[in-house]
Amino acid sequence: MFSRHREPLLWLTVVLLAAAGFWWAGRSHEPPSTPGRTVISWYVTINSLREHYETQVAAFEKLHPEIKVRIIWVPGSEYNVKLKTLAAAGRLPDLFFSGDVWLSYFLPFTRDITDLVERDAAEFGLDDYFPEIRRAMQLNGRYYIATQDMNLSLLYYNRRIFQEAGLAEPSADWTWADLVRTGQALTRAPSAGRPGVWGCSRVEGWWGEWLIYVRQAGGKVFAPAGRRCLLDSPAAITGLRFYLEKSSKYHISAPAGYEPINGFVNERVAMIVGGHTVYWFNYNQVPGLDWDVQLLPSGPVTRTGGELAMAGFSISRTSPHPEEAWALAKFLTRREAVAAIVAQGSLSVRRSVAEAALRAPGPHANPQNMAAVYRQFEFGEPIPHHANYVEVMSQLIQPEVDRMLLGELTPEEAGRRATVAVNAFLATFNPTAP
Amino acid sequence: MSTGAARTRWFWLFTGPALAGFVCFSLWPMLYSLWLSFCQDEVLAPPRFIGVQNYLYLFTRDPSFWPSVKVTLVFSAVEVPLAIAAALALALLLNQPVRGRGGWRAIYFLPSILPQAAYAVIFGYIFQADGGMLNRLLALGGIQGPAWTTSPTWALPVLIAMSLWSFGYPMVIFLGGLQSVPRELHEAAHMDGAGPWARFRHITLPLISPVLFFNLVMGVIGALKVFDLAYAFSAVQAQAPGGPARATLFYGLNLYQQAFGFFHMGLASAMAWLLFAFTLAITLLNFRIGRRWVHYGD
Repeated sequence: MFSRHREPLLWLTVVLLAAAGFWWAGRSHEPPSTPGRTVISWYVTINSLREHYETQVAAFEKLHPEIKVRIIWVPGSEYNVKLKTLAAAGRLPDLFFSGDVWLSYFLPFTRDITDLVERDAAEFGLDDYFPEIRRAMQLNGRYYIATQDMNLSLLYYNRRIFQEAGLAEPSADWTWADLVRTGQALTRAPSAGRPGVWGCSRVEGWWGEWLIYVRQAGGKVFAPAGRRCLLDSPAAITGLRFYLEKSSKYHISAPAGYEPINGFVNERVAMIVGGHTVYWFNYNQVPGLDWDVQLLPSGPVTRTGGELAMAGFSISRTSPHPEEAWALAKFLTRREAVAAIVAQGSLSVRRSVAEAALRAPGPHANPQNMAAVYRQFEFGEPIPHHANYVEVMSQLIQPEVDRMLLGELTPEEAGRRATVAVNAFLATFNPTAP
Repeated sequence: MSTGAARTRWFWLFTGPALAGFVCFSLWPMLYSLWLSFCQDEVLAPPRFIGVQNYLYLFTRDPSFWPSVKVTLVFSAVEVPLAIAAALALALLLNQPVRGRGGWRAIYFLPSILPQAAYAVIFGYIFQADGGMLNRLLALGGIQGPAWTTSPTWALPVLIAMSLWSFGYPMVIFLGGLQSVPRELHEAAHMDGAGPWARFRHITLPLISPVLFFNLVMGVIGALKVFDLAYAFSAVQAQAPGGPARATLFYGLNLYQQAFGFFHMGLASAMAWLLFAFTLAITLLNFRIGRRWVHYGD
């Protein structure tokens, strides 16, 4: 009897096992939600604010017992890839970390939150955001991000090195010429037992510094419609040349590849042009590092051109719980939450928090010149809303800039080669105009 | 039921799951990627057929395609022979009857179990231009070392040096081959007056030629699809993947960037198929040439 049915039974067993395996692999592994309680997922990068976020979420859940927040921590280096993969798979979280550098790319799966922002404008404190931030939060007049923090390019300097050299600290009316002159006075060759000091660092490997010079020289990376690269223009070449000549002509920066590791923290470089506000927290952890900031030196055409980038939270277009996600986004960007971040050593996107910080500086002494920081807002330039911005900048332009720094290309050649590559890319991939 | 029919059923019963897995998770994705290679596919929108545009863009306009081909070919041409020579030399040494031979073998195999990311960090410290161990050593002799990791001239040689430390697996395979060489042949040759080099050249090498051939084929295939080492290297050096100036932009890394960094799945699929075609051609060529020097003892 059994032997007659042995084969069909074996087949059935194999099929059932396979089906069970597929079912188990494909089923949702999320914990079951409590009846009457909505679970929302929040996708966020692992950074120094982790403790802050956990505190905020605990407070939020206490205030909204009907909402449970599931935080998904993602390493920063993998964040974009993972988020886009989730978008492709149709499994986006309700709320995710976003920023203007990615907004155009994320747009197809980012919810337009204009209706929510306008409905809750008073509670959200829309008018409390700096006007420059409010503008950067929008794309074609619509809101997509609830902004939490920002980066603003500044001139960073080490006060002790300036004092030792007997030089006046940078002033608000500095130009490139002042940067060069002072940088040369600060640059010191290594001597017995003392490492050398470079007058100015040079940011290599990304656009953080050279883009400032290109813009301040009157150049641009993209034409207004975003379909053509302009890096071969004379103005842009002037900016690239200054970036190169910091080391090749003026000798205020290390040659390409020889930038000291953590030079500013280790007091091996006296100044940074551009920098990033995310490092304030780290700088303030270093005992004895006496640093401050000033407006960026003015270029031959304008002072404007430093980066003004912001980051915050967006709601996915497919979220089944947009109201709950919006409630969390509002909570994370409310005045008290922003103030808590600023207290850790960051820059406020809200005017009220900035004014309070100016009146009563927090536990961190630096930077002292907060007036210059908030004045730099008017000279900051938002990142172009271009769907392929990061790819174009990092993959097509940066290698040519790298080769220029290494002496393989002149600034003219680098600008021309980058422009040809970008225009060919744009013609092929036909990205959406910003 | 006839024996033949029963055997057929058992055949399908045992091979069925593997075949189903192959069809679902290998064959179908491969064929789909072939279709995608003729499409513009940015993932978030449906693929759009564009004919051979992806291939044309790669061959004529993509500034990263040819540099990545060059980096990969240079790496393969230099690293594979060096790695095989190093693995064979160490296997010959570790095949000697010395005290604690097992321990020595384990020690020499250990670097191979380190993750590539760990290599990237360790070698990053050694080759750092400003204050790196190697340059500090050179400075003692009054030599200013180059910017090893950030110079396009030196970055690839540094990566080759890093990858050579993964000699453990081919070394173990060589050891297996060496142990199968009959001792009597060596003894007979020795009695006939053959020296160590002559014995190695005329006895050992022909007898381990299948193992050598296996390591060569696997080494070439591995070199053509290097990814993790280059990815970790760029990350540790805080450079854009493949930097500086595309000097370490391996084909596999470029493909990954196009696919998962920027979601150009059509372009990445075209790259994958080109890599597949090239790897197949090189492997077939290896087999053809191998007929002349590989001895299977038949």
